[in-house]
Amino acid sequence: MTPVINDKQTSSIRQNHTCFKMITDYDLQGEDDGAVQIPNSETEFINAKTYLQMASANTGDNLYDHLTEVLNKILAERPENVIDFFEEYSRKVKERRFKPMTDHLEDMYVPPGRFDLANKMLLLLKPLPPSEPSTVDPDDLELADMSKNNMLELLYYLEHCGIGLPRTEMFFVMLSIRKLIHTEPIAHIRFWGKIFGTLKDYLVVECELKEEEYIKRNESYQDQVEPPISVEENQAEDSRIRKALDAIAKQQQLYGEGKTGKYPRDLPTAPKIQYEEAPEAPAEPSGVGINKKVYYVCNGVGDPWIQLPDATPKQIRVARQIYKSFTGNLEEPICTYPEFPGKEREFLRAQIARISAGTQICPLGYYTFGAAEMGEGEEEEEPEEAAGGETKTSYKPNPKYDPPPLKDLLDGSVSFWVHTAAYILPQGRTNWWNPSPMPDVNDEEMDEELGEEEEQEEQEKPKAERMEPETGPPLLTPLSEDASVEAVPPWSVRCSSGIIDNFAMAVVRSNLWPGAYCFSTQGKIFQNIYLGYGLKYMEHNFSPLPLPPVQQEYPIGPEILEMTDPSGADEEKWRIDHLPKPKEVVLAGEEAEPEEAGEEEEEEEDED
Amino acid sequence: MNLNSILKSLDSCGYFGHILSTEEGIVLHNSLLILQNENHFRQIFFWGKILGVEKDYYIAYGYSRDILYGKVYYYSRNCTDWGLLPKPTKNGLVLTPLCTSKFQGDPSLVIDVLIDKDEILIPGKRKQPELRKLKEEDRLASTVYQIMDEAGVVPRGALFRRPDGIVVENSSFEGLSTLEAREIKSFLHFRPPTRKQNSNLLTRDDFNYAMDFLDPLDIDLPEGCWIIQITPAEDMAIVKSIHWPGLLSYHFCKTPKHGFIYFGHGKKSLDAPFMLSPFCM
Repeated sequence: MTPVINDKQTSSIRQNHTCFKMITDYDLQGEDDGAVQIPNSETEFINAKTYLQMASANTGDNLYDHLTEVLNKILAERPENVIDFFEEYSRKVKERRFKPMTDHLEDMYVPPGRFDLANKMLLLLKPLPPSEPSTVDPDDLELADMSKNNMLELLYYLEHCGIGLPRTEMFFVMLSIRKLIHTEPIAHIRFWGKIFGTLKDYLVVECELKEEEYIKRNESYQDQVEPPISVEENQAEDSRIRKALDAIAKQQQLYGEGKTGKYPRDLPTAPKIQYEEAPEAPAEPSGVGINKKVYYVCNGVGDPWIQLPDATPKQIRVARQIYKSFTGNLEEPICTYPEFPGKEREFLRAQIARISAGTQICPLGYYTFGAAEMGEGEEEEEPEEAAGGETKTSYKPNPKYDPPPLKDLLDGSVSFWVHTAAYILPQGRTNWWNPSPMPDVNDEEMDEELGEEEEQEEQEKPKAERMEPETGPPLLTPLSEDASVEAVPPWSVRCSSGIIDNFAMAVVRSNLWPGAYCFSTQGKIFQNIYLGYGLKYMEHNFSPLPLPPVQQEYPIGPEILEMTDPSGADEEKWRIDHLPKPKEVVLAGEEAEPEEAGEEEEEEEDED
Repeated sequence: MNLNSILKSLDSCGYFGHILSTEEGIVLHNSLLILQNENHFRQIFFWGKILGVEKDYYIAYGYSRDILYGKVYYYSRNCTDWGLLPKPTKNGLVLTPLCTSKFQGDPSLVIDVLIDKDEILIPGKRKQPELRKLKEEDRLASTVYQIMDEAGVVPRGALFRRPDGIVVENSSFEGLSTLEAREIKSFLHFRPPTRKQNSNLLTRDDFNYAMDFLDPLDIDLPEGCWIIQITPAEDMAIVKSIHWPGLLSYHFCKTPKHGFIYFGHGKKSLDAPFMLSPFCM
């Protein structure tokens, strides 16, 4: 384009020139220059345009085209207050131009981000495969009841309470639960909640397995409870160390390292570890206590459900002492002090057990202890079952349930809500295990834990005697009995609506486990849900357990005490005190030697 | 969270579990518009909810000229009657981190804050522990200020500094790409910059004077205190701070939609070093 314009320019100048000639008809020197200098709007315009069209030496672009493009974009898009963002527009147009024209990657099709998800979802959306024809009567097959697992209905209620998960996620949970009950021996299933992690989150469902499955799992339980006592192993280890020490001593003799002393000395025995690990309470069998329910987790939409292992009392106890965020990876090691027995999988299970025990509630009267369960005094004969007040472990829906009115449910004292999950004792079990065969209960440790106990901690009596069984509040205790920890009231109650009373719901929120909610529609429908980080609220910030005091390697005695060397005067005194009686001099030849030496020294000193 | 997304809070903050309930959403959607009209705000935003024992506080803010420096906060306990949140006082800012109790829900409540003899947060020598009074309203103001100062987040490019120094929303912001959204550098602190302009600019190769004037998130310690999650559908980035559990910033990738919301007890978590794995970061 540029050369064309230049041609035009020159031609127009030439034209002007000829005009002048025609009119004036006389020729002056420098007339040509004068003609060019006369201001002329057209010329100026052309000059300016030429300047603007000069290509940049770096990029080959020119401002004229750029401005045209920017103005074109602005006029096409007509944004508001464009002057404020003019630079931005200009930059964007430029950026677009600099995209290489020969982008070979452009031809590659990059699937949209949701592609993977769509694939996973489609799998779930397919109808379930027809079950293989089996000899079992379809009525006996008894799949878990899905009627209470309408997640979208649940979401509707949750939305009214101000909590909720994205609709796709809830739909996924519903679809995958439907699939899960066909593949796993589940008798009852419920959506438990979500735990947030740093990388990924966990969706959790809570299940009760079928009776046969529990029996199958507990077949090997008795073996696990009584692990072989490894006293012999310890002895073998002891003798091995002893031998090694002897060998070192012998070597020192042989290679002359023992020259410093006249007599080969035995190395001192290896120090004994006085710390005895307290007897570990056995885990509760599947289907009982903290392991009453089985939990499945998955990382998110489309991922498979993974069953969590049963929790052990130790895991529960250590989980109370540490403060650690979840990552979203079940195999992540938990690097804490005290050492947590297990990986994130076990930690997650322990936290779920603690949260469930602390926050699962229902309106008063919904559940009742069955009449058959009331008189279970006989079991107390067995020492292991002798946890008073813990005999009632099961309840069933009350047929004569009369839903409490909303006003009562919203009462600030929360006395119309009761706990439905068994309280976990400081020991880490729901019913107390008597460690009587070994009298050294770790009393101090348990006392320490009392301070950091669940909200019912005032229920715990300080240990007056060693064998005082730990007790907790029984099942179906009203929430109003919960002690407030460090002046934090454990529960807050809210009404979902301040305007329409007829359809309002009561929402109970735990202040100790932020994220734990229970709602109830006028007492008829209720549901517990947890949506949080899986960590307990702490009034003051977390401080880790201090390390135990360093143990003494050897009993304190003259052998290991550092003392001042005897002075000359001391030695003299000793000598005089121990002067042999004349008769015994002959007999005690060995003792004479040092004495003689002493005398010699003294003589030397005297000479000095 | 701006006014239009209040009704769709399930889509944005549902990933966090806490949303505005149906009724709250509808009430806020209307009452905030009226508040905006009364104060002639150019834009009004819902800030979040601080959970109290008896009552909860709802917080909103608006601006009329400058979105960064000209924010005006309002609070309410029932979503309809809004009161001006006072500016954080010096006393409040000093005492708030020492408060361990929960908010009660009564702004006129005066609580006693115990200052230990050897408290290092407050300068000055004390011979014995000292009790100071703090009104809950002031505590609320300081808490909001602190949360915004430490954990407010905007995606890079969403704010634009005009040549006259006024910060406005960038109307030509097209959103971060999914790839950019995975990078912590692409998110900036929504607070007056604390570092020199040069050092903020030079953190990027493709710096832009109008956008990179804010502090990027990656200057914060310890490493890993910011959590960025991309939703499975790869259409939204969620940024959370481990120091302020409850604050959620979201950004719909490739759209200008972004915002943040707070649902929590208004307590900073100082346990981040314990919560992160020591060796496995």
